[in-house]
Amino acid sequence: MNKNSINKGFRFWLAFYAGRFSVFLCRLFRLSGTSLPGAVALRICPQLLFYLASAYEKIIAVTGTNGKTTTTNLITYYLRQAGVPVIGNGEGANMITGVVTALIKDCNFFGAAQSRTVVLEVDEGSVGKILPAVKPDLIVVTNYFRDQLDRYSELDHIITLLRNTIDGLPETELLLNADDPLVVAVGRGRPAVRYYGVEVEKDCKEPEKNEIREGGFCPECGELLVYNYYHYGQLGDYRCTKCSFKRPEADFVALDVDDSDLLHFTLHVQNKNSSIDLHSQLRGFYNVYNILAASAAALIISIPEQSIEASLPDYSTATGRLEQFIYHGRLCTLALIKNPIGVNEVMKTILPQEGKKAFLIAINDLAGDGKDVSWLWDADFEKLNHPMISKVVCSGRRAAEMAVRLKYAGLATSKIVLEPGCRESLDVLGLQQVDQYYILASYTSLFNYAKLLRKMGKAVAKDADQGLPSLS
Amino acid sequence: MRIRVCHLYPDVLNLYGDRGNLLVFHRRAQWRGIELDVDQFLLGDRGDFSSYDFIFMGGGADSRRTLLLKNLEIIAPYIVDAVEKGTVLLAIGLGFQLLGRYIKTEDGDVMVGAGVFDAYTEMDSSRSVGDILLEATADLQEELKKAGNMDITTLIGFENHSGRTYLGEQGKALGRVIKGKGNNGKDRTEGAYYKNAFGTFLHGPVLAKNPHFADLLLVKALSPQEEISLEPLDDSLEILAHNTMKKRLIR
Repeated sequence: MNKNSINKGFRFWLAFYAGRFSVFLCRLFRLSGTSLPGAVALRICPQLLFYLASAYEKIIAVTGTNGKTTTTNLITYYLRQAGVPVIGNGEGANMITGVVTALIKDCNFFGAAQSRTVVLEVDEGSVGKILPAVKPDLIVVTNYFRDQLDRYSELDHIITLLRNTIDGLPETELLLNADDPLVVAVGRGRPAVRYYGVEVEKDCKEPEKNEIREGGFCPECGELLVYNYYHYGQLGDYRCTKCSFKRPEADFVALDVDDSDLLHFTLHVQNKNSSIDLHSQLRGFYNVYNILAASAAALIISIPEQSIEASLPDYSTATGRLEQFIYHGRLCTLALIKNPIGVNEVMKTILPQEGKKAFLIAINDLAGDGKDVSWLWDADFEKLNHPMISKVVCSGRRAAEMAVRLKYAGLATSKIVLEPGCRESLDVLGLQQVDQYYILASYTSLFNYAKLLRKMGKAVAKDADQGLPSLS
Repeated sequence: MRIRVCHLYPDVLNLYGDRGNLLVFHRRAQWRGIELDVDQFLLGDRGDFSSYDFIFMGGGADSRRTLLLKNLEIIAPYIVDAVEKGTVLLAIGLGFQLLGRYIKTEDGDVMVGAGVFDAYTEMDSSRSVGDILLEATADLQEELKKAGNMDITTLIGFENHSGRTYLGEQGKALGRVIKGKGNNGKDRTEGAYYKNAFGTFLHGPVLAKNPHFADLLLVKALSPQEEISLEPLDDSLEILAHNTMKKRLIR
């Protein structure tokens, strides 16, 4: 899709240099500057993204509710390891301003792009603005769960938005999660769709009783869906009881998943009938989907199987994705939490770990977190009512509401400590005589805890070269 | 003591943490030695509601409205009957709208509701989203104070609804909006109540953010006719959470 011949005009250059100058100013004043330069430039030239994106040979976009950052970062990492010059908005700004900022930064002083390929994480509410402008070659959709309903109102709106957006992009190829009926609904009737999915030997995995579940209804006819098994949330092997809608056959299949500790599974590529053995430093069943999606995307854009197999073991996690620190001489795991399914999966991953535990849960309600914190009641915090958990420190702007949630989850009030301050709550956590610390933090508080932990403790195996401390 | 609860359409009406309301109701009963039996009433189920003390309906996606109304049509007379006899009912968001007289869609179609509340909804492109604070309607203030033993007459929640809901001549609001939009963003009314039935747009869940309201429902479910008093609980955390938000909202 190289459209270098496009005449960019005066407005483009004015916007471009205004953006460049803003990047310079942000650096000068030590602001993070992942969105502001783009916002400035877009004011001057609203079509800027279209022009900037036209310089690249290949554009991959990742959207969905959970797993966008890990999937985006891993695709970027695979490309880089394979020697492909690649740029992305891995700094966590996944709205149009962040995408534009990332692309401005990739240009040299004369406005020429330095990379050939772009991997973009796209906020699910921003797909209507970003995708038509960049015209991706490939769109990866991870999953749809309830998240930030203060911004998106209802999940249906978000799915309809993507569906309507891709109607205007007939040439774009889709890579969809076969296990999520809500995602599969996005690709209905399109020619170039490929699917990835996890297959299990056991034919019946009972759904978790307390788990909140989306969908459940057929996107074709509205009838109830029935499941052979569930992985988590509404992900699983489903079919409609009335029409022919069912989980599509996956082109990229995860088999023999071992999620007891560091992840390990086999990726089977159906059309080639080949298999790759994947070992990762990541934990948590939900990361199987992220690795699977990223590996499938890399294969689609012709990254060799051997390169994927060889580079995955060295990929480590981004900020707050079960990132590990040593704090007060103990292992301290930091995890971003932002929606019920995300919390449930994080808890499922860490709770089986051995030893006595103390938790810190930081809940803010700023725009980046979601202003409505009612989602805390859709998450299965009942799991923290556990004899090996001795204390839970609640902090953030909604510390008291988090404490109330835990009280009703059945935790003794003697186990709940209320300490809204960031530094102070970390001090209280450090007093707990346990084997491991866990910090679950909403988006806007995550950075503060990561920063403090680096200062007061030390990071374990920090991601050295991918350098993509992204957040949403 | 035992309270029989009917959770209406939990398979569809389960947005914004609303199921937390039943958890709060359950715990607050349990802490006082009161047992709870909860029946789930799913789409397609039939039956009457005369054996229940408390009927709960959560919020849901607007796209499920037609499906819900089709199901509700059949059971509506039984719900109305139960409410007339004093059964306690709490309906949130879409649940509340469905129990009004009608919902007029953006295309002008009129969909008949269950008619529990003298209220009607006109859908338009407006959406009310944000924290909301109410002063409970005068008649309810005394009851709230007595039931909850907490001397709180405000209600707090997070509203997230589309369209505008208006009360009819007989309709009584749950409260007056101090901060937020409420039923329609115009007349400062929020929610509705009739006998022991309450409708509201407050999510949060509303009973978690307002333990005094939870206790009022509990009192009424135990004894619809006469006033009784509940054993007081240590509600310091709940009250702190309520007051922290209240302070932020009136600042």
